[in-house]
Amino acid sequence: MEEIVSDAYGEPISAGAAPHAGELTVKFENAFDLARIETLLRQARDRGGPSVETVCTLNLVAIHFSAAQYEKARNALEVAATLHPCRIVAVIADQGTQEESLTARLSVVRTGGAITLERIVLSATGRAVRHLESAMMGLLRPDLPMVVVWGGRPQGDLLRRVVESADRIITDSGARPPGYLAETAALLAKGAPIGDLAWARIFPWQSLAADTLDVPDLREHRGNIRRARVVCAGAVGAEGLLLLGWMQSRLKRLEVEIGAEGGADVEEVSSTPIPRAAPIGLGHVKLLEFVAPPATFTLRREKGVLISQVKGDDDGYCAHRVRLPPEMPGRLLALELKLLSGRDELYAQAVQAAAKLLAART
Amino acid sequence: MPYAPEHDEVPNPLRAGLRADSAPEPCAVVIFGASGDLAHRKLVPALYNLAVGAHLPAAFGIVGVSKSAYTHEEFAREMREAVGRFSRTRPVDPEIWQDFAAGIRYVAGSFDDPTTFVRLRAQLDELDRTRSTRGNRLYYLATPPSTFPTLLKQLKAAGMINPPHDTRFTRVVIEKPFGRDLASARALNRLVLETCDERQVFRIDHYLGKETVQNLLVFRFANSIFEPIWNRRYVDHVQITAGEELGIEGRGRYYEESGILRDMIQNHVLQLVCLSALEAPVAFDADSVRDEKIKVLRAIETFDTPEQVARNVVPGQYGPGSVAGADVPGYQQEKDVAKGSRTPTFVAIRLNIRNWRWDGVPFYIRSGKRMPKRATEIAVHFRRVPHALFGEGSAQPNDLIIRVQPEEGIALRFSAKVPGERFRPQTVSMDFRYGTTFAAASPEAYERLLLDAMRGDQTLFTRKDEVEAAWKIVGNILKVTESSEFPAPYPYPAGTWGPAAADELLAQDGRAWRRL
Repeated sequence: MEEIVSDAYGEPISAGAAPHAGELTVKFENAFDLARIETLLRQARDRGGPSVETVCTLNLVAIHFSAAQYEKARNALEVAATLHPCRIVAVIADQGTQEESLTARLSVVRTGGAITLERIVLSATGRAVRHLESAMMGLLRPDLPMVVVWGGRPQGDLLRRVVESADRIITDSGARPPGYLAETAALLAKGAPIGDLAWARIFPWQSLAADTLDVPDLREHRGNIRRARVVCAGAVGAEGLLLLGWMQSRLKRLEVEIGAEGGADVEEVSSTPIPRAAPIGLGHVKLLEFVAPPATFTLRREKGVLISQVKGDDDGYCAHRVRLPPEMPGRLLALELKLLSGRDELYAQAVQAAAKLLAART
Repeated sequence: MPYAPEHDEVPNPLRAGLRADSAPEPCAVVIFGASGDLAHRKLVPALYNLAVGAHLPAAFGIVGVSKSAYTHEEFAREMREAVGRFSRTRPVDPEIWQDFAAGIRYVAGSFDDPTTFVRLRAQLDELDRTRSTRGNRLYYLATPPSTFPTLLKQLKAAGMINPPHDTRFTRVVIEKPFGRDLASARALNRLVLETCDERQVFRIDHYLGKETVQNLLVFRFANSIFEPIWNRRYVDHVQITAGEELGIEGRGRYYEESGILRDMIQNHVLQLVCLSALEAPVAFDADSVRDEKIKVLRAIETFDTPEQVARNVVPGQYGPGSVAGADVPGYQQEKDVAKGSRTPTFVAIRLNIRNWRWDGVPFYIRSGKRMPKRATEIAVHFRRVPHALFGEGSAQPNDLIIRVQPEEGIALRFSAKVPGERFRPQTVSMDFRYGTTFAAASPEAYERLLLDAMRGDQTLFTRKDEVEAAWKIVGNILKVTESSEFPAPYPYPAGTWGPAAADELLAQDGRAWRRL
């Protein structure tokens, strides 16, 4: 049974955490005072001693439209930040509240004697949201790349300049209805440096497919792949479309098919502290099959393991099995932050192909 | 690089541009010396961690081979305990372990006995059938060097080594020491290459698996600002230190045979010299990198006479002393060490690299046991400024320090003005700490190297000519220092940075060791 994923399908990049202690909160009247914010941040840095080093590799800008959204994303942002020391500038633009307010929350995190995370959370409500962009731009650390984690769509002109001047914009197509891929394709066509957590989610599928074609006895099928099929869990999702789009962009004259069956996994409550692979979510990929006559390559997910099997080949056997990496907040974001500027060409081609597939389906 | 495609082969259309590394092909890892320390402390924990990181193919198996009598289950149980104690990731994940242990087998037997290899072969065939390991074999020789010839001959006689072009790969990983002098290294190389092709031989030096050692290549060749000053015009001298707090830890018998020159200098320290001094390789692949390392080794001036050795080499041996606040015995009081032993536990050497880039820049290397602390680093000391604008001796020369362990990182020392009315320079340090900047846990050296061996990437393994060139340098020194006419090693108290003669070696040149 297939259904189209609704608008309520997802939210900006998620994971929750309680606010940290030791955070300094400052309220402003008419506009943010950037000099004061920097002074207070310096004081926060100096609290650990006069010559504390700061390690910073990028400006990580996170854009949210409510405090709840930010709190949900906070843990993932901070875990990713431990792998990529940075200055996080989180912007919360709450236009839904009538009252105007401007608040900054500041804190630093030390690791091994050095400051590895500076955290600035700028919140604005009501009409005051118009001040957010210029304040945020003034608080970036110079010379370092700016990566924007973007959960939603630009609302009018608000924050458009931030997105336009970013070295990289990271979104999550998997958290939105797949139709948004067409919009992403249009932005990529204009050269937007977009990254995507949905893309990072399908890395294991791509690796396994490529590894299977590297098996010596199976290399003969490389030039002969004719058809590919993807099955998603419960509904066709962005990951499935990206996976198929990637196949189509790599292989000429490939017939493709996408569908959905079954449903998402019921999330198990883990009884052990050892992290496991994320359960199969709505729209996630369950199966990839490609045919190079007479051989059929089937890659399927069974809980935390991906299995590839080959039928119709002379040798006919199980080709590979790989364990999916354990899911931790921020893991996918940290993977995407390995590329700090420019476009991932492979992704751009996959999105273009996925958008065409979508258009053909509708 | 997982494999080299044949000329007429269609390139893998799904591989291009992928950010993830390829997984190794299905294979069985055979550990000879499976009941030993290395298998327990390093090899099996490293393989388990590769499983945790989803880097192993699930079509994978391990066969332990040694004399001790175990059943498969007993061996797997012992490995489970070893992983629980020595693994980088703990606690052991029962689900991953269950998968991992399902591929563990054990064969008991003597390496001299051909029936051991008949049973091993049957066991590997069984893994091919039940775990789909496809006839791919990685033989790990975690055994004393004296067993290498027997093992290799038996493997060959049992038909267990496929030719290099076979689709079922055979690779052999050989642990150090690779020979004990140039003649024995050559003999071993001959024997190895009678059995396998050089492309199948992986001579391991675990220093090359360390992140910071690999970072040295990135630091030198991914930054344009250092290359112009990385030569005799700007560098005054280079100091390489590899010191350990530990003594010989009960390995008296081994150490009496090896000493510091064989244990550290011939392999680890000369590798650090190579990576510090090599020219930019034409490509980042196994042969291009190793070609450049061999050029450095060949350019190192060898000491052909006792006078040259006496002038440039300071051997030492620790006596009783105190390390980290505890009294420790001297080397000659250690178990299995002969009274009056002349084995050096410390050495300082002045090396000259006779090539266009480095001629006239001494490389001072030192390595020792029972030093005040564990420290391995490369320090590049730059020349002084030509004119002392702020007063004679006021500005210290710049140093660039690459710390290999512990606290892996890089520090640059430069002069800054002390705040105040006068121009008074003071040396300050700009520090990059690996662990702080990249909070991701680094893999253990053995994880990286085992994975590379499974993938067939030899970049971080030493080649035949490299091993022989290193032995030529060290062999000439050994020939002199091991002769009875050469003075006994200089004594130094445990817990110090070696004998005073090591300080004099630099003092003769108007230099001093860095205080660590």
